Amino acid sequence: MRLFIVLLLLGSTTFLAAQPNCEAYKYFGDELKYKACKAAEKRAGYYQFSRRYQEALDEAIAIDSTFAFAYRAKSTAYLKSGDFLEWKYLMDKAVKFDPTAQLDYRGWCRYQFFRDYQGAIDDIELLDSLVEYDIGHSVNGDYHLHIARALCYKALGKKELAIEIIEGQVQDSTYFVGIYDFLHLGVLYLETEQYDKALTAFARQEQENDLAELHYYRALVHKATSDAEAYQGELRIAKNLYQEGRKMFDPYVEQMDKIFLSTIEKALVAER
Amino acid sequence: MKRWRLSGKRCQNVLFGSSMIKSRIVMKTVRLIGILLLLMGCATEKDKPKYLRWVGDIEADPEIDGEVFQLCFSEARVKQYFNFSQGMQYDGEKAAIVEVFRQDYEAVDVPQSGWIRIRFIVNCKGESGRFRLSASNTQYQAQEFDSRVTDQLLSITQSLNGWKPLPDSKDPRDYYQYLTFKIEDGALKEVLP
Repeated sequence: MRLFIVLLLLGSTTFLAAQPNCEAYKYFGDELKYKACKAAEKRAGYYQFSRRYQEALDEAIAIDSTFAFAYRAKSTAYLKSGDFLEWKYLMDKAVKFDPTAQLDYRGWCRYQFFRDYQGAIDDIELLDSLVEYDIGHSVNGDYHLHIARALCYKALGKKELAIEIIEGQVQDSTYFVGIYDFLHLGVLYLETEQYDKALTAFARQEQENDLAELHYYRALVHKATSDAEAYQGELRIAKNLYQEGRKMFDPYVEQMDKIFLSTIEKALVAER
Repeated sequence: MKRWRLSGKRCQNVLFGSSMIKSRIVMKTVRLIGILLLLMGCATEKDKPKYLRWVGDIEADPEIDGEVFQLCFSEARVKQYFNFSQGMQYDGEKAAIVEVFRQDYEAVDVPQSGWIRIRFIVNCKGESGRFRLSASNTQYQAQEFDSRVTDQLLSITQSLNGWKPLPDSKDPRDYYQYLTFKIEDGALKEVLP
Protein backbone atom coordinates (compact mmCIF):
# COMPACT_ATOMS: atom_id res chain seq x y z
CA MET A 1 0.00 0.00 0.00
CA ARG A 2 2.78 2.35 0.96
CA LEU A 3 4.57 1.62 -2.29
CA PHE A 4 1.37 2.32 -4.20
CA ILE A 5 0.95 5.70 -2.52
CA VAL A 6 4.57 6.62 -3.17
CA LEU A 7 4.27 5.65 -6.83
CA LEU A 8 1.01 7.57 -7.15
CA LEU A 9 2.48 10.69 -5.62
CA LEU A 10 5.68 10.46 -7.62
CA GLY A 11 3.80 9.83 -10.80
CA SER A 12 1.55 12.78 -10.37
CA THR A 13 4.38 15.18 -9.62
CA THR A 14 7.27 14.03 -11.74
CA PHE A 15 5.66 13.25 -15.03
CA LEU A 16 2.86 15.74 -15.36
CA ALA A 17 3.48 19.29 -16.44
CA ALA A 18 0.26 20.52 -14.87
CA GLN A 19 -0.19 21.69 -11.30
CA PRO A 20 1.78 19.39 -9.03
CA ASN A 21 0.03 17.39 -6.35
CA CYS A 22 0.71 19.49 -3.27
CA GLU A 23 0.02 16.58 -0.95
CA ALA A 24 3.08 14.82 -2.35
CA TYR A 25 5.34 17.53 -0.95
CA LYS A 26 3.65 17.18 2.41
CA TYR A 27 3.95 13.42 2.30
CA PHE A 28 7.69 13.67 1.69
CA GLY A 29 8.10 16.26 4.44
CA ASP A 30 8.78 19.32 2.29
CA GLU A 31 6.55 21.71 4.20
CA LEU A 32 7.86 24.82 2.45
CA LYS A 33 7.15 23.50 -1.02
CA TYR A 34 3.76 22.29 0.18
CA LYS A 35 2.88 25.83 1.25
CA ALA A 36 4.22 27.27 -1.99
CA CYS A 37 2.24 24.72 -3.94
CA LYS A 38 -0.96 25.60 -2.10
CA ALA A 39 -0.34 29.28 -2.79
CA ALA A 40 0.11 28.48 -6.49
CA GLU A 41 -3.28 26.77 -6.49
CA LYS A 42 -4.89 30.17 -5.92
CA ARG A 43 -4.37 30.92 -9.61
CA ALA A 44 -7.05 28.34 -10.50
CA GLY A 45 -9.77 29.86 -12.61
CA TYR A 46 -7.75 32.86 -13.70
CA TYR A 47 -6.35 33.40 -17.20
CA GLN A 48 -2.60 32.80 -17.32
CA PHE A 49 -2.00 36.34 -18.59
CA SER A 50 -3.96 37.90 -15.74
CA ARG A 51 -2.68 39.77 -12.71
CA ARG A 52 -4.33 37.38 -10.26
CA TYR A 53 -2.74 34.37 -11.92
CA GLN A 54 0.71 35.94 -11.84
CA GLU A 55 0.31 37.21 -8.29
CA ALA A 56 -0.60 33.75 -6.98
CA LEU A 57 2.61 32.42 -8.44
CA ASP A 58 4.59 35.35 -7.04
CA GLU A 59 3.22 34.43 -3.64
CA ALA A 60 4.35 30.84 -4.17
CA ILE A 61 7.84 31.98 -5.11
CA ALA A 62 7.96 34.28 -2.11
CA ILE A 63 7.28 31.26 0.10
CA ASP A 64 9.79 29.02 -1.65
CA SER A 65 12.11 30.67 -4.14
CA THR A 66 13.19 27.24 -5.42
CA PHE A 67 9.70 26.18 -6.50
CA ALA A 68 10.46 25.52 -10.18
CA PHE A 69 6.86 24.92 -11.18
CA ALA A 70 5.87 28.48 -10.27
CA TYR A 71 8.54 30.00 -12.50
CA ARG A 72 7.48 27.82 -15.38
CA ALA A 73 3.79 28.58 -14.90
CA LYS A 74 4.57 32.31 -14.81
CA SER A 75 6.70 32.08 -17.94
CA THR A 76 3.98 30.83 -20.27
CA ALA A 77 2.18 34.15 -20.66
CA TYR A 78 5.46 35.86 -21.45
CA LEU A 79 6.26 33.19 -24.01
CA LYS A 80 2.93 33.57 -25.74
CA SER A 81 3.24 37.35 -25.80
CA GLY A 82 6.66 37.03 -27.42
CA ASP A 83 8.54 38.43 -24.42
CA PHE A 84 11.72 36.41 -24.78
CA LEU A 85 13.51 38.42 -22.07
CA GLU A 86 11.15 37.66 -19.22
CA TRP A 87 10.32 34.18 -20.47
CA LYS A 88 13.97 33.13 -20.53
CA TYR A 89 14.66 34.71 -17.14
CA LEU A 90 11.83 32.70 -15.59
CA MET A 91 12.62 29.44 -17.37
CA ASP A 92 16.28 29.68 -16.42
CA LYS A 93 15.11 29.79 -12.81
CA ALA A 94 12.82 26.82 -13.34
CA VAL A 95 15.60 24.79 -14.97
CA LYS A 96 18.05 25.76 -12.26
CA PHE A 97 15.83 24.36 -9.53
CA ASP A 98 14.45 21.31 -11.36
CA PRO A 99 16.39 20.59 -14.55
CA THR A 100 15.00 17.16 -15.35
CA ALA A 101 11.40 18.40 -15.10
CA GLN A 102 11.90 21.72 -16.93
CA LEU A 103 14.50 21.24 -19.66
CA ASP A 104 11.95 19.65 -22.00
CA TYR A 105 9.73 22.74 -21.93
CA ARG A 106 12.56 25.25 -22.23
CA GLY A 107 14.17 23.31 -25.05
CA TRP A 108 10.96 22.88 -27.00
CA CYS A 109 9.93 26.51 -26.63
CA ARG A 110 13.34 27.74 -27.74
CA TYR A 111 12.67 25.91 -30.98
CA GLN A 112 8.95 26.55 -31.35
CA PHE A 113 8.80 30.24 -30.55
CA PHE A 114 12.27 31.61 -31.15
CA ARG A 115 13.90 29.25 -33.66
CA ASP A 116 16.84 29.10 -31.28
CA TYR A 117 18.05 25.88 -32.86
CA GLN A 118 21.31 25.42 -31.00
CA GLY A 119 19.73 26.39 -27.68
CA ALA A 120 16.97 23.84 -28.17
CA ILE A 121 19.47 21.12 -29.11
CA ASP A 122 21.55 21.90 -26.04
CA ASP A 123 18.56 21.67 -23.70
CA ILE A 124 17.13 18.48 -25.22
CA GLU A 125 20.49 16.72 -25.30
CA LEU A 126 21.26 17.80 -21.76
CA LEU A 127 17.93 16.39 -20.62
CA ASP A 128 18.61 13.15 -22.48
CA SER A 129 21.94 12.85 -20.70
CA LEU A 130 20.34 13.37 -17.28
CA VAL A 131 17.52 10.85 -17.40
CA GLU A 132 17.16 7.17 -18.12
CA TYR A 133 13.58 7.33 -19.35
CA ASP A 134 12.16 8.52 -22.67
CA ILE A 135 12.45 12.33 -22.78
CA GLY A 136 8.95 12.54 -24.22
CA HIS A 137 7.05 14.98 -26.37
CA SER A 138 6.69 18.71 -26.88
CA VAL A 139 4.20 20.38 -24.58
CA ASN A 140 1.64 20.58 -27.40
CA GLY A 141 2.07 16.87 -28.11
CA ASP A 142 2.83 17.33 -31.81
CA TYR A 143 6.48 16.28 -31.72
CA HIS A 144 8.69 13.89 -29.87
CA LEU A 145 11.61 15.94 -28.60
CA HIS A 146 14.06 13.89 -30.67
CA ILE A 147 12.11 14.82 -33.79
CA ALA A 148 12.25 18.48 -32.72
CA ARG A 149 16.00 18.06 -32.15
CA ALA A 150 16.34 16.64 -35.64
CA LEU A 151 14.52 19.63 -37.13
CA CYS A 152 16.92 21.94 -35.31
CA TYR A 153 19.88 20.10 -36.82
CA LYS A 154 18.24 20.42 -40.22
CA ALA A 155 17.92 24.18 -39.74
CA LEU A 156 21.61 24.31 -38.88
CA GLY A 157 22.43 22.54 -42.15
CA LYS A 158 23.03 19.06 -40.74
CA LYS A 159 20.43 17.26 -42.83
CA GLU A 160 22.04 13.82 -42.77
CA LEU A 161 22.13 13.89 -38.99
CA ALA A 162 18.50 15.02 -38.94
CA ILE A 163 17.52 12.08 -41.16
CA GLU A 164 19.45 9.69 -38.96
CA ILE A 165 17.67 10.91 -35.82
CA ILE A 166 14.18 10.75 -37.34
CA GLU A 167 14.80 7.35 -38.92
CA GLY A 168 15.97 6.03 -35.57
CA GLN A 169 12.92 7.41 -33.83
CA VAL A 170 10.26 6.15 -36.23
CA GLN A 171 11.88 2.71 -36.42
CA ASP A 172 11.55 2.27 -32.66
CA SER A 173 8.80 -0.30 -32.22
CA THR A 174 7.63 1.32 -29.00
CA TYR A 175 7.22 4.75 -30.59
CA PHE A 176 3.87 6.24 -31.55
CA VAL A 177 4.39 8.15 -34.77
CA GLY A 178 3.80 11.89 -34.56
CA ILE A 179 1.35 13.76 -36.77
CA TYR A 180 4.09 15.36 -38.88
CA ASP A 181 7.03 12.94 -38.51
CA PHE A 182 6.95 11.36 -41.96
CA LEU A 183 6.26 14.68 -43.65
CA HIS A 184 9.48 16.14 -42.23
CA LEU A 185 11.38 12.96 -43.06
CA GLY A 186 10.07 13.05 -46.62
CA VAL A 187 11.04 16.70 -47.05
CA LEU A 188 14.53 15.88 -45.79
CA TYR A 189 14.82 13.07 -48.34
CA LEU A 190 13.57 15.45 -51.04
CA GLU A 191 16.13 18.06 -50.06
CA THR A 192 18.90 15.47 -50.19
CA GLU A 193 17.66 14.15 -53.55
CA GLN A 194 16.59 10.73 -52.23
CA TYR A 195 13.37 10.76 -54.19
CA ASP A 196 12.25 7.15 -53.79
CA LYS A 197 12.64 7.38 -50.04
CA ALA A 198 10.77 10.69 -50.09
CA LEU A 199 7.81 9.12 -51.86
CA THR A 200 7.78 6.25 -49.37
CA ALA A 201 7.80 8.67 -46.45
CA PHE A 202 4.99 10.75 -47.97
CA ALA A 203 2.91 7.62 -48.50
CA ARG A 204 3.34 6.80 -44.82
CA GLN A 205 2.41 10.38 -43.89
CA GLU A 206 -0.71 10.07 -46.04
CA GLN A 207 -1.73 7.03 -43.99
CA GLU A 208 -1.07 8.75 -40.69
CA ASN A 209 -2.31 12.25 -41.41
CA ASP A 210 -3.14 13.44 -44.93
CA LEU A 211 -2.06 17.06 -45.37
CA ALA A 212 -1.77 19.65 -48.12
CA GLU A 213 1.92 19.86 -47.36
CA LEU A 214 2.69 16.26 -48.21
CA HIS A 215 1.05 16.62 -51.63
CA TYR A 216 2.92 19.84 -52.30
CA TYR A 217 6.26 18.27 -51.47
CA ARG A 218 5.33 15.11 -53.32
CA ALA A 219 4.67 17.36 -56.31
CA LEU A 220 8.21 18.69 -55.96
CA VAL A 221 9.53 15.13 -56.08
CA HIS A 222 7.62 14.60 -59.33
CA LYS A 223 8.98 17.84 -60.67
CA ALA A 224 12.52 16.76 -59.85
CA THR A 225 11.93 13.46 -61.63
CA SER A 226 10.32 15.21 -64.63
CA ASP A 227 6.82 13.82 -64.18
CA ALA A 228 4.85 16.91 -65.14
CA GLU A 229 1.42 15.28 -65.02
CA ALA A 230 1.90 13.89 -61.51
CA TYR A 231 3.35 17.24 -60.45
CA GLN A 232 0.23 19.13 -61.53
CA GLY A 233 -2.05 16.53 -60.04
CA GLU A 234 -0.41 16.68 -56.63
CA LEU A 235 -0.49 20.48 -56.63
CA ARG A 236 -4.21 20.43 -57.27
CA ILE A 237 -4.75 17.95 -54.43
CA ALA A 238 -2.59 20.13 -52.19
CA LYS A 239 -4.70 23.19 -53.03
CA ASN A 240 -7.97 21.38 -52.35
CA LEU A 241 -6.76 20.03 -49.03
CA TYR A 242 -5.41 23.41 -48.02
CA GLN A 243 -8.75 25.07 -48.73
CA GLU A 244 -10.48 22.37 -46.70
CA GLY A 245 -8.20 23.16 -43.77
CA ARG A 246 -6.20 19.92 -44.02
CA LYS A 247 -2.84 21.60 -43.44
CA MET A 248 -0.22 22.06 -40.77
CA PHE A 249 -1.49 24.28 -38.01
CA ASP A 250 -0.27 25.70 -34.75
CA PRO A 251 -2.29 28.54 -33.20
CA TYR A 252 0.86 30.30 -32.03
CA VAL A 253 3.56 29.86 -34.67
CA GLU A 254 4.40 28.77 -38.21
CA GLN A 255 5.85 25.26 -38.19
CA MET A 256 8.85 24.16 -40.16
CA ASP A 257 7.94 22.90 -43.69
CA LYS A 258 4.54 24.56 -43.54
CA ILE A 259 3.29 25.92 -46.84
CA PHE A 260 0.76 28.62 -47.66
CA LEU A 261 -1.96 28.83 -50.28
CA SER A 262 0.13 31.31 -52.24
CA THR A 263 2.98 28.78 -52.33
CA ILE A 264 0.76 26.26 -54.11
CA GLU A 265 -0.88 28.80 -56.40
CA LYS A 266 2.45 30.21 -57.53
CA ALA A 267 3.60 26.71 -58.42
CA LEU A 268 0.40 26.07 -60.36
CA VAL A 269 0.66 29.34 -62.27
CA ALA A 270 4.32 28.78 -63.07
CA GLU A 271 3.51 25.52 -64.83
CA ARG A 272 0.81 26.90 -67.08
CA MET B 1 9.96 47.59 -23.12
CA LYS B 2 9.42 48.27 -19.42
CA ARG B 3 11.37 45.84 -17.27
CA TRP B 4 9.72 46.42 -13.93
CA ARG B 5 11.31 43.24 -12.63
CA LEU B 6 14.64 45.04 -12.60
CA SER B 7 13.45 47.45 -9.97
CA GLY B 8 13.55 46.93 -6.22
CA LYS B 9 15.22 43.70 -5.21
CA ARG B 10 17.61 43.48 -8.11
CA CYS B 11 18.65 47.09 -7.59
CA GLN B 12 19.44 46.21 -4.01
CA ASN B 13 21.48 43.21 -5.02
CA VAL B 14 23.60 45.33 -7.28
CA LEU B 15 24.09 48.02 -4.71
CA PHE B 16 24.54 45.93 -1.58
CA GLY B 17 25.68 42.57 -2.89
CA SER B 18 29.47 42.87 -2.48
CA SER B 19 30.88 40.73 0.30
CA MET B 20 34.34 42.20 -0.22
CA ILE B 21 33.49 45.39 1.65
CA LYS B 22 34.28 44.66 5.25
CA SER B 23 34.70 48.06 6.76
CA ARG B 24 31.56 49.11 8.58
CA ILE B 25 32.19 52.73 7.69
CA VAL B 26 32.52 51.93 4.02
CA MET B 27 29.45 49.71 4.24
CA LYS B 28 27.38 52.44 5.83
CA THR B 29 28.49 54.90 3.18
CA VAL B 30 27.66 52.48 0.42
CA ARG B 31 24.25 51.84 1.95
CA LEU B 32 23.52 55.50 2.22
CA ILE B 33 24.46 56.04 -1.41
CA GLY B 34 22.43 53.00 -2.32
CA ILE B 35 19.34 54.23 -0.53
CA LEU B 36 19.68 57.62 -2.20
CA LEU B 37 20.06 56.01 -5.62
CA LEU B 38 17.09 53.77 -4.97
CA LEU B 39 15.00 56.72 -3.98
CA MET B 40 16.07 58.60 -7.10
CA GLY B 41 16.15 55.76 -9.61
CA CYS B 42 13.27 53.59 -8.52
CA ALA B 43 10.83 56.16 -7.26
CA THR B 44 8.91 56.26 -10.50
CA GLU B 45 8.70 52.45 -10.56
CA LYS B 46 7.25 52.40 -7.05
CA ASP B 47 4.11 54.14 -8.16
CA LYS B 48 3.46 51.73 -10.98
CA PRO B 49 1.49 48.56 -10.47
CA LYS B 50 3.59 45.45 -10.97
CA TYR B 51 1.08 44.07 -13.42
CA LEU B 52 -1.35 45.62 -15.81
CA ARG B 53 -4.56 43.78 -16.65
CA TRP B 54 -2.71 41.13 -18.64
CA VAL B 55 0.92 40.30 -19.30
CA GLY B 56 2.01 42.14 -22.42
CA ASP B 57 -0.63 44.88 -22.24
CA ILE B 58 0.41 48.14 -23.85
CA GLU B 59 -0.80 51.36 -22.27
CA ALA B 60 -1.75 54.10 -24.67
CA ASP B 61 0.78 56.92 -24.85
CA PRO B 62 -0.31 59.84 -27.05
CA GLU B 63 3.29 61.06 -27.30
CA ILE B 64 4.32 57.79 -28.94
CA ASP B 65 1.12 56.68 -30.56
CA GLY B 66 -0.51 59.90 -31.69
CA GLU B 67 -4.27 60.21 -31.65
CA VAL B 68 -5.18 58.45 -34.87
CA PHE B 69 -5.30 54.84 -33.71
CA GLN B 70 -8.33 53.97 -31.61
CA LEU B 71 -9.62 50.77 -30.10
CA CYS B 72 -13.12 49.72 -31.07
CA PHE B 73 -13.87 48.49 -27.57
CA SER B 74 -12.53 49.09 -24.09
CA GLU B 75 -9.00 48.26 -22.96
CA ALA B 76 -10.43 45.43 -20.88
CA ARG B 77 -11.71 43.65 -23.96
CA VAL B 78 -8.49 43.49 -26.02
CA LYS B 79 -7.65 39.83 -26.69
CA GLN B 80 -4.54 38.00 -27.91
CA TYR B 81 -4.32 36.90 -31.54
CA PHE B 82 -4.21 33.23 -30.58
CA ASN B 83 -7.33 33.46 -28.41
CA PHE B 84 -9.34 32.89 -31.59
CA SER B 85 -7.53 29.65 -32.54
CA GLN B 86 -7.07 30.85 -36.10
CA GLY B 87 -3.39 31.64 -35.99
CA MET B 88 -2.01 34.88 -37.35
CA GLN B 89 -4.54 36.42 -39.74
CA TYR B 90 -3.18 38.52 -42.59
CA ASP B 91 -4.17 38.93 -46.25
CA GLY B 92 -2.04 36.41 -48.10
CA GLU B 93 -1.17 34.73 -44.79
CA LYS B 94 2.23 34.99 -43.17
CA ALA B 95 3.90 34.41 -46.52
CA ALA B 96 2.78 37.92 -47.54
CA ILE B 97 4.37 39.45 -44.45
CA VAL B 98 7.64 37.63 -45.02
CA GLU B 99 7.66 38.81 -48.62
CA VAL B 100 7.26 42.45 -47.57
CA PHE B 101 10.26 42.19 -45.26
CA ARG B 102 12.25 40.27 -47.86
CA GLN B 103 11.73 43.09 -50.32
CA ASP B 104 11.97 46.10 -48.05
CA TYR B 105 14.50 45.27 -45.34
CA GLU B 106 18.08 46.07 -46.21
CA ALA B 107 20.71 44.21 -44.18
CA VAL B 108 22.89 46.43 -42.02
CA ASP B 109 26.55 45.51 -41.65
CA VAL B 110 26.75 45.40 -37.86
CA PRO B 111 28.05 42.65 -35.55
CA GLN B 112 24.70 42.38 -33.77
CA SER B 113 22.57 39.25 -33.53
CA GLY B 114 19.52 38.27 -31.50
CA TRP B 115 15.79 38.86 -31.50
CA ILE B 116 13.69 41.96 -31.91
CA ARG B 117 10.02 41.85 -31.01
CA ILE B 118 7.50 44.45 -32.12
CA ARG B 119 4.20 44.12 -30.28
CA PHE B 120 1.11 46.06 -31.23
CA ILE B 121 -2.68 46.07 -31.31
CA VAL B 122 -4.93 45.35 -34.30
CA ASN B 123 -8.35 46.86 -33.83
CA CYS B 124 -11.67 45.50 -35.04
CA LYS B 125 -11.22 47.33 -38.37
CA GLY B 126 -7.85 45.73 -39.06
CA GLU B 127 -5.95 48.92 -38.22
CA SER B 128 -2.72 48.61 -36.22
CA GLY B 129 -1.24 50.86 -33.54
CA ARG B 130 0.61 51.16 -30.20
CA PHE B 131 3.81 49.64 -31.54
CA ARG B 132 6.39 48.73 -28.89
CA LEU B 133 9.81 47.24 -29.47
CA SER B 134 12.06 45.08 -27.31
CA ALA B 135 15.29 43.34 -28.19
CA SER B 136 17.83 40.87 -26.93
CA ASN B 137 21.11 39.32 -27.96
CA THR B 138 21.41 35.60 -28.68
CA GLN B 139 21.75 34.93 -24.96
CA TYR B 140 18.33 36.51 -24.28
CA GLN B 141 19.92 39.50 -22.59
CA ALA B 142 18.48 42.94 -23.35
CA GLN B 143 20.37 44.59 -26.15
CA GLU B 144 19.94 47.83 -28.05
CA PHE B 145 20.33 47.24 -31.77
CA ASP B 146 21.72 49.71 -34.25
CA SER B 147 18.90 52.10 -35.06
CA ARG B 148 19.30 51.35 -38.77
CA VAL B 149 18.08 47.84 -37.95
CA THR B 150 15.26 48.72 -35.56
CA ASP B 151 14.04 51.76 -37.49
CA GLN B 152 13.60 49.69 -40.62
CA LEU B 153 11.79 46.89 -38.84
CA LEU B 154 9.50 49.28 -37.03
CA SER B 155 8.73 51.26 -40.15
CA ILE B 156 7.97 48.17 -42.24
CA THR B 157 5.83 46.67 -39.47
CA GLN B 158 3.85 49.90 -39.18
CA SER B 159 3.30 49.87 -42.94
CA LEU B 160 1.69 46.42 -42.96
CA ASN B 161 -1.95 46.96 -43.90
CA GLY B 162 -3.34 43.49 -44.38
CA TRP B 163 -4.24 42.57 -40.82
CA LYS B 164 -7.62 40.88 -40.65
CA PRO B 165 -10.13 41.54 -37.93
CA LEU B 166 -10.56 38.57 -35.61
CA PRO B 167 -12.60 36.49 -35.41
CA ASP B 168 -13.39 36.12 -39.13
CA SER B 169 -17.11 35.68 -38.97
CA LYS B 170 -18.83 38.15 -36.67
CA ASP B 171 -18.26 40.51 -33.80
CA PRO B 172 -14.68 41.45 -34.69
CA ARG B 173 -12.53 42.32 -31.68
CA ASP B 174 -9.38 44.26 -30.89
CA TYR B 175 -6.38 42.01 -30.35
CA TYR B 176 -2.68 42.00 -29.57
CA GLN B 177 -0.32 40.79 -32.25
CA TYR B 178 3.44 40.68 -32.40
CA LEU B 179 6.24 39.93 -34.82
CA THR B 180 9.66 38.71 -33.77
CA PHE B 181 12.64 39.14 -36.04
CA LYS B 182 15.64 36.87 -35.79
CA ILE B 183 18.69 38.92 -36.69
CA GLU B 184 22.17 37.63 -37.52
CA ASP B 185 24.89 40.26 -37.98
CA GLY B 186 22.32 42.86 -38.99
CA ALA B 187 20.66 40.58 -41.54
CA LEU B 188 17.05 39.43 -41.17
CA LYS B 189 17.03 35.64 -40.98
CA GLU B 190 13.51 34.78 -39.88
CA VAL B 191 10.18 36.44 -39.20
CA LEU B 192 8.34 34.83 -36.28
CA PRO B 193 6.02 33.58 -34.82
